[in-house]
Amino acid sequence: MRLPFLALGVALAMPAAADQPLRVTTDTPEYCGLLAQRLSSLAGAEQDAVRGMAEEGLRLCHTGHIRTGIAKLRRALRAVQAQRE
Amino acid sequence: MPLIGLLRSASGRFALLFTALFAAAATAAAVVLWWNTAGALDRQTDAAIRADATALVERRREAGVPALVAAIEERLALDVQNESLYLLLGPNAAVLAGNLEAWPAEAGGEAPWIRMKLARDGAESEARLLRVDLPAGHRLLVGRDVAEKLRLRGLLSEGIAWAASSSAAIALLGAWLLRRSLEHRLSPVYGTAAAIGAGDLSRRVPLSDRQDEFDRLGMTMNAMLDRIAQLMEGVRGVSDAIAHDLRTPIARARAKLEEALGDAADEPALRAAVEQGIADLDGIARVFKAVLRIAEVEAGARRAAFAAVDLVPMLTDVAELYGAAAEAREQSLVADLPAALPLVGDRDLLLQAVANLLDNALKFTPPGGMVRLSARLAGAAVEIAVADDGPGLGPADRARAGERFYRADAARTTPGSGLGLSLVRAVAALHGGEVALGDTHPGQAPPGLTVMLRLPGA
Repeated sequence: MRLPFLALGVALAMPAAADQPLRVTTDTPEYCGLLAQRLSSLAGAEQDAVRGMAEEGLRLCHTGHIRTGIAKLRRALRAVQAQRE
Repeated sequence: MPLIGLLRSASGRFALLFTALFAAAATAAAVVLWWNTAGALDRQTDAAIRADATALVERRREAGVPALVAAIEERLALDVQNESLYLLLGPNAAVLAGNLEAWPAEAGGEAPWIRMKLARDGAESEARLLRVDLPAGHRLLVGRDVAEKLRLRGLLSEGIAWAASSSAAIALLGAWLLRRSLEHRLSPVYGTAAAIGAGDLSRRVPLSDRQDEFDRLGMTMNAMLDRIAQLMEGVRGVSDAIAHDLRTPIARARAKLEEALGDAADEPALRAAVEQGIADLDGIARVFKAVLRIAEVEAGARRAAFAAVDLVPMLTDVAELYGAAAEAREQSLVADLPAALPLVGDRDLLLQAVANLLDNALKFTPPGGMVRLSARLAGAAVEIAVADDGPGLGPADRARAGERFYRADAARTTPGSGLGLSLVRAVAALHGGEVALGDTHPGQAPPGLTVMLRLPGA
C-alpha cells in the first residue's frame, strides 16, 4: 500500500522554486485507491455502514469528485478505527 | 484649501478632534476584534501544528523512522477535513512520507515557520508549515491548509471594512453636527461683539435656559460689558464734573483779575488781587492733583509700596492733629483706639484716607459737637470708624457718596471739592476693603454720619 503512494512523490524531492505554489499529492484518484486498499486490509471494513461509505467514496472518485470521495473514504477509515478502539 | 480653513476655526478643530477620537476608538475596537478572531484562529493553527510536530518527533524517537512514516500515513488517511500537510525527507532528500510534492525553497531559511501558496485540485490555497530538523539528516514539514481560515478572515476583513466605512461616515456626520452646533451657539456672541464693535454699546449676549458653558460665557461677557459701561459712565461723569466744577473757580479767578486790572486804585490793591488769583489757581491745581491721585490709587500702582503697618501710632498722630483743629472750632474729637492694629498696606494712603474722613466730619459737625475716631480688630478685619454729629446723608446721597465731585445738596454751601470720599473708597478698594456709611444716632435729628472703613488685617 505504501509503495505506490511513495512512487507519487518520486524518489528524490527536488526543492520547489520560491513563489511557486506547493502541490498536494493526496488529491488524486490514485490516493483514492490507496485509501480503499488500506480500508480493505482492516478488520471491520466489511460492515455495511463502512462498506457503504467506502463504495460511495470510490464512486465519487471515479466520477471526478476526488476530494469528496477521499473525504468519504477517510470517514470510513475513521469509523473502522473507532470500532477498533 | 478647505482643510486649512477648517483648522483655523476652533469649531473645525474640535470637529476634527472628535473625528480623530472616534476613528481611534473604532480602530481599537477593530484591533481587539481581529486579535480575538483572526488572530485566535492563527494561534490555534500554530498550536495544533506544534503539538502534531512534537508528537511525530516523539514517535520517531521511540520507534524510529518507519514508525514515523506510518504515523504520517495514518494521520493523512484519517484527515477528514483534508487540511493536514506533511513531508518527510530522508538524508538523501528522498521523499519518505507526506502529501507535498517537493521541499519548498522557503523552508530552507532560518525561520522554522513558513507561510506559502498551495495548489490543490486546481485551486490556490495557503499553507502554514513548521520545519523540524530530525537526527541523521531527516527533515520534516508539518503543516495545515489554512484556506478555510483565510476565507473566514476575508469575511471578517470585509465586515471590519464595512464597519470602518460606517464609522467614518458617522464620525464625519458627528463632526459636521458638532461644528454646526458650536457655530450656532457662538453666533450670538459674535453678533454681540460685532454690534459693540460697530458702536452699539447697549447690546448684550442673549442667554438660553440651558445654563451651560456658552451661557456662562455670555453671562461673563455681559458682566464685563456692564462693567465697561459703568466705567465709561464714570469717566463721562468725571469729565462732566471737571468741566462743571472747575469752570466756576476758573471763571471766578478770571473775573477777579479782570476787575482788579480795571478797578485797582493802587499797586497794593493790584498785588492783592494777583495773590488772590494765584491762590484760586492753587486750589484748582489741588483738585487736579486729587483727581490724579485717585486715578493712581484705583489703577493699583501703589500696591508695590505695601508694608506691614501698625495703624495705632498713625491714628493717634492724626487724632492729635485734627484735635487741635476741632478745639479751634469749639468741637471735640475723641479717639478710642486699641493697643495695636496690624495690617499690610500703604501707610501714607491710609493716613490720607483717615484725614479726609476727619476733615469731612469736622466740616459738617456744628460748634459744640463731637467727632469720634474709633478703631478695633473685628475677627480678621480692621475697622476704623469716624462718627460725627452733622446732618448725615439720606439714602440717595449715600448711594452716590464716593463718586468724584459728588456733593449732597446740603453740602453745597460748605467748602470742598467732592473728592475726599472718592479717595477713601479708592484706598479701601486698593487694600481689598470697603467703606460703609451709617447713622451715628439712628432715629434722631440730626442723625449724624458714621463712616466705617473695613480693611483686611495682617
